[in-house]
Amino acid sequence: MQLSRPHILLADSDAKSHEVFRSFFERRGWDLEIATDASNLGQALETSVFDIVIADATMPGMSPSMLLGHVFRKRPGQALIVMGESASSENGFKLLRSGVTDVITKPVDFTWLERCVEQAISCRRQDEREKQTYAFVTCEQTEMQFSCKQLGEVQAISLPILRRLLDSQQITDTEALKIRLAVQEAVLNAVEHGNLELESRWKEEMHAGGLDKFSQIRRERLADPSFANRSVKLSSTFNGETLEISIRDEGRGFLNTQQASVPQAQNLSCSGRGMTLMTNAVDEVRFSLNGSEVTLVKYLTKQGS
Amino acid sequence: MEFPTEIVGEKGYIHITSDLDTEVAGEALRSAFNEIFDQGTRTIVLDLSGAQIINSYGIGKVLSCYQRLKAERGVLMVKPLNGFVKETFELLMLDKLLPIEK
Repeated sequence: MQLSRPHILLADSDAKSHEVFRSFFERRGWDLEIATDASNLGQALETSVFDIVIADATMPGMSPSMLLGHVFRKRPGQALIVMGESASSENGFKLLRSGVTDVITKPVDFTWLERCVEQAISCRRQDEREKQTYAFVTCEQTEMQFSCKQLGEVQAISLPILRRLLDSQQITDTEALKIRLAVQEAVLNAVEHGNLELESRWKEEMHAGGLDKFSQIRRERLADPSFANRSVKLSSTFNGETLEISIRDEGRGFLNTQQASVPQAQNLSCSGRGMTLMTNAVDEVRFSLNGSEVTLVKYLTKQGS
Repeated sequence: MEFPTEIVGEKGYIHITSDLDTEVAGEALRSAFNEIFDQGTRTIVLDLSGAQIINSYGIGKVLSCYQRLKAERGVLMVKPLNGFVKETFELLMLDKLLPIEK
């Protein structure tokens, strides 16, 4: 697939800037469109798709927040570089938190701008390629393996298949969160009850400072290679209609005695909710290998059907 | 990771600023709770607006806070919940257990 030339929109009311930017971008063979006010900007965003928008935060009649609203309402997720006369670190930080790609000050450092633009374009093109590739995928299988020590160190496991199903609108944000939660619960069980052989009742035995026996022994076993090096395998299979995610540990299994309990407001126990969360998130939860493998099954239907 | 805390009048507030689904986040909650609890505050409000997800591990940590307060006739409350965290609380009927701070 031939990628087209970078297409950039400059939103700036200052005619002198137009010439400087045009000359800079034309030398690189990049296409530049110019919007001189809010109305022009809105029109340009409606009619064309841009790799990146570079906008002056001091355009007459448009505050920085109006500018952001204008761009992101028309093009959610649009790569946007905001230029200001004196972008303080506080204001810059606020803008970055609002989804802006970068904040630069005038006079513009064109070496820096070129790097920002190239980076933003590269990210956008990579996302586009992944989306286009995935549109043709009818079947995907991935396998991952982690040691308990590694799982103790990572913040949360990210399953690439979920991002791709979200991008291709085969699942909603809430479904993705639910599946992510179910996987977390299954991995947690595999690590804590399967590989580290921890017992839920230890969660109720509280020491000073609110540290429970379960957490204390968990730490000890994660420091003990005979426990910490045991692995958890994750495999996911997607056949276009069904997503199956299996999580397998190296423990002795538990014969599926842990059934989803009916939640009760009076249940004050610090454990025993994982199965409820898993069964609520997916269509089927299957156990095999004496309980040391769990498979989460989600049947996908097209959105809106 | 640290969760900001504040004491306003007789209430202590813990602002959960990340998902509550890892040991790191659970430890941050325990530490923030201890900071307020150790000053004698017995009405503590969890602001979960910064969390998109809470798993059974995080819920266990919340209930551990609840039990410690209950043992001293204290109250654990939550700020009005939203999104998937609200759904999880309702599924596990925790919304019946922890009063909402209006």
